[in-house]
Amino acid sequence: MAAATTAIQRFPQHRYVDAVRWLPLQSAFDRFAVLALFDFDSDASSIEIHALNQNPFSLEPHSSWSSPSRVSSLKPSHFLQKPLIVASTSSGSLHFLFSDSSDASLLSEVSLPEGALHSLPASCVDLMDGGVECVSVGEDGKVNLVGIGDSNLNYRRLFDSAGLVSYTAVRWASPMEFATGGFGFGLQWWDQRKPGGPVSQFKGNWDKKLTSGIVHSIDIHPSRKHTCLAGGSLGTVFAWDLRWQQQPIILSGAGAANTAVQSISESEVWEVQYDRCIKSNTSSTRILPSMICSEDGILGVIEQGEEPIELLAEPCAINSFDIDRHNPSDVICSLEWEAVAILTRQ
Amino acid sequence: MPSDTVGNVALVPFTGDSPPAVYPLHHGLAPPISRLSISWARGSSLRLSLFAGAAAKVVEVKLAGEDSEIPDAHWRRIAYGSVAPFALLQSRRSSLSALLKTPSPYRSDWWEHVLQYSKEIGSLLGGPKLPASPIIEDPNVIAKRGEEPTSLKAAWELIEIFYVDKQSQAWLPERLVDWLADYASLFTSTHETIHGKLVDFQKELVNIQVIEEDPRYWDLLSSALSVGWLDIVVKMLRLHGSYQLDQLSNRELENGLVEAVAVLISKMPRMRPESVGKLGECYKSKPDFIKAWEKWRSQITKLDCSRFWIQCDNQQTREGLRNLLQIMLGNTESLCMATCYWIELYISHFLYIRPFTMGIESMYNLAQKCIQLKPRSSTHRLSVLMIGILEENTEVVLAECSREFGPWLVAHAIELLTAGSEQAEILLHEERYNLGGISIVELHRLVYAQILSSHALTWQIAPIYLTSCMKQGMGLLENLLYRQSAQHNDVLLKNIEICRLYELDHISSNIMKIAGVHHWKHGHKGAGVFWLQQAQDASCLDKIAQQLFDSVGKSISDESFKQWEGMIELLGSESKPAGGLEFLHKYRDFKKSLQKVSSGKSTDAARQAVGSLILLMKNPSTPQRFWLPLLYDSLKLLNWQDCPLLSVSETNLLLNKLHELSLAKLRPHHTEPSLPPDALSSIRLALATNLGQAILDE
Repeated sequence: MAAATTAIQRFPQHRYVDAVRWLPLQSAFDRFAVLALFDFDSDASSIEIHALNQNPFSLEPHSSWSSPSRVSSLKPSHFLQKPLIVASTSSGSLHFLFSDSSDASLLSEVSLPEGALHSLPASCVDLMDGGVECVSVGEDGKVNLVGIGDSNLNYRRLFDSAGLVSYTAVRWASPMEFATGGFGFGLQWWDQRKPGGPVSQFKGNWDKKLTSGIVHSIDIHPSRKHTCLAGGSLGTVFAWDLRWQQQPIILSGAGAANTAVQSISESEVWEVQYDRCIKSNTSSTRILPSMICSEDGILGVIEQGEEPIELLAEPCAINSFDIDRHNPSDVICSLEWEAVAILTRQ
Repeated sequence: MPSDTVGNVALVPFTGDSPPAVYPLHHGLAPPISRLSISWARGSSLRLSLFAGAAAKVVEVKLAGEDSEIPDAHWRRIAYGSVAPFALLQSRRSSLSALLKTPSPYRSDWWEHVLQYSKEIGSLLGGPKLPASPIIEDPNVIAKRGEEPTSLKAAWELIEIFYVDKQSQAWLPERLVDWLADYASLFTSTHETIHGKLVDFQKELVNIQVIEEDPRYWDLLSSALSVGWLDIVVKMLRLHGSYQLDQLSNRELENGLVEAVAVLISKMPRMRPESVGKLGECYKSKPDFIKAWEKWRSQITKLDCSRFWIQCDNQQTREGLRNLLQIMLGNTESLCMATCYWIELYISHFLYIRPFTMGIESMYNLAQKCIQLKPRSSTHRLSVLMIGILEENTEVVLAECSREFGPWLVAHAIELLTAGSEQAEILLHEERYNLGGISIVELHRLVYAQILSSHALTWQIAPIYLTSCMKQGMGLLENLLYRQSAQHNDVLLKNIEICRLYELDHISSNIMKIAGVHHWKHGHKGAGVFWLQQAQDASCLDKIAQQLFDSVGKSISDESFKQWEGMIELLGSESKPAGGLEFLHKYRDFKKSLQKVSSGKSTDAARQAVGSLILLMKNPSTPQRFWLPLLYDSLKLLNWQDCPLLSVSETNLLLNKLHELSLAKLRPHHTEPSLPPDALSSIRLALATNLGQAILDE
């Protein structure tokens, strides 16, 4: 069922949208989105900040930085009151873009060249709130921490699985802890103070007949740091509660057939985030509501024990989305067919 | 084909009348070029790799011939947007034909579905249609150019008018009038048009002092009137000098005549549904229209015979206005004078001579007559298409669409061509020997799907078109899916998702195998094992297991075992196909229990460790090369102080394994594990001691 009170605007980009995020700003009047774009015809990639205008409702290019290769992971945060964007690229380099806090123009860039962090292109990054430290994990099995100074970067390798385990998603839980995800719906919990490997591993007792999948995205709610929300293949969304180690709480998808869970999608769940909009007064035992986007074109909200709500059903894949921190009713998402869409929920 | 090419060895005989065109290529290499390799790059680009001595350069050459009217990115938008309407129409077609149990969905109301499809596709080709020449407040603007129309949209609408829209069949002539009004500017590129003349005149309008003295003013008035642009004509008439306040008094009569003509023009009866903002009086039923038409004509005749003309002393005004009356009365000569090319003349015939729908054959004859009256050296592609349609030759229409507008239009317009005619449906859907057993419809869909397949951004929509092709579609779809890169996870997963949608399990399992081997070869062992497990490829897993054990054997110290943990987790439960990798599981269990033993002195833990050891040694999947390291790792268990941990039979089993090992040493390809030189003897000693104690105990 589609929520009738949702306004949707689509903005064609004429280029492939690799990732899309809201840019967190202090100002309540100006709103900006960060887009990672790739032009297949000229092989040019860029990270662009677009301004969202209200009258008429439009998304206009504001400032741009050309990237040496395609962006594989994008994460904005702020550092010393200034917006900071971190991007990892498909050639393995990592870039930090500092922007102006008042007009969101890009000011400076520091980067780590390809090969410094990962031997393999595909990698995923997360930036700590406040932007002091960035964690970068990759399919090559390396886990790196990058500290951000005023003009320099320092980095260290926390772990290297030598390719025996690949990581496809990462998320900070606290200044010391973070969670990673990978193949076989595996999740790992890490603590900077305990190097040498993950402090806890999750490999749930999935239904044995089901084929396994890959975790594409993780979210951890600041108020519930012991619960790790993960989305991946086969429409799977599950939560891993560190206190109930080996049993996943399935919210959608794989394994849902024999429980009372309704699946919102059957294909890849590309991104999952806690939905900041819904003020749920559920007890602390229930998982907070979350939003997902999927390969079969669904953007929706799922809540434990409730029927999923479809916000958008597109004929093409929705590859990423972001909920605006300051206006949680606004969601921006990237569509496979070279466009972004902005939803405003009433 | 000329006869001399018969027997020619060329695959595609070159029969061009003109010599081949030569284009210079800037590669910046010093000659001589020693080698040249040509391959296809993205889209319709060629990749040329040039080698000259030690230097080499790769150049991409974009082949011309693309429609410059619509840029690539816009073409992709059209391609994306047409997926949903196309898929909906196909599913309606198949559900209808399942219902009727006939292969052809031809039914009286089928055209309504096609019309809906046509409107949706049409809306992709350009924004909302603007009125041809919106009258805005500025009196000097007579013909305003709205959004630039495209030939593609014009072609689509033309096909829709003739083949699909049954509702407006009764006012087909008026629809053609509107069509020309919307797209007249397109023809300006090839020849002189009324639209072009109007635009030119407008530019000079500010410099003209007395407009009615300019002969072009009267020419353009009659031209615009001949093609029915009433709004423009009335607006231009009101620019006439006699309307100016200071002249009104002494040109009263002249002004009266101008206004009378303007009123007559704005009252012209039209056989069409009401249209907002357009001049003329609309009638839906034929009898009402005929009545109004007769009345209007008699009014014109009356004005034409009026005595006021003699009293009008402005000769130019008099002649110009009377010429307008002649056009309204359908004077063939005036119409021919007023129009620039055959389509304009054709439209003027519909407006002023034969305002009723007629059979397509007589429409064709009329077109022939107009072409004879307005012969042209250069013809626009839209006018070629129009003649094809009027000829009622579906194949010509298709060929024209394909040649001039490309595969997108053909693949989508075919649905329109078959909408109202069972005959066309049969013609286009019948299997043809000369096409290798496929139908014309399938041929054009395949061609379009190939174009989509060649671009990284559109290959994902090609399956929609391929699966609608009964004969060759699935084969090409399999090809397409195999061809995608297994290197990037997201492309791979999107590919597998398409396999899932079309239930192509064998393809997805092959793709996963390819991905598994790719990852394995590039050192992402975990990812490799995952994909091979997903593909349930036990034999490949067995093979890589052997390679994996090499690195296990070398680096299996307790510290590095942490790295293996994740991989073993990935292998999952024993019910999953893990091939020879199952060993790793048991090995991990054994290592864990051994760790417990080393940290404490509990005999229970030691017994558990022995149990794991025996399980491992008994299991046929345990590779032989691990036997000695396993035993060496367990020395502490074998030399257990308190009591013998192994029974007699268990000890014998291990001794037998040692014996087997000594025999294996004689075989070629045997590799000695890197253990201390006294390892074997200390194991033998420990086993012997244990055996002795066990015998005593038993």
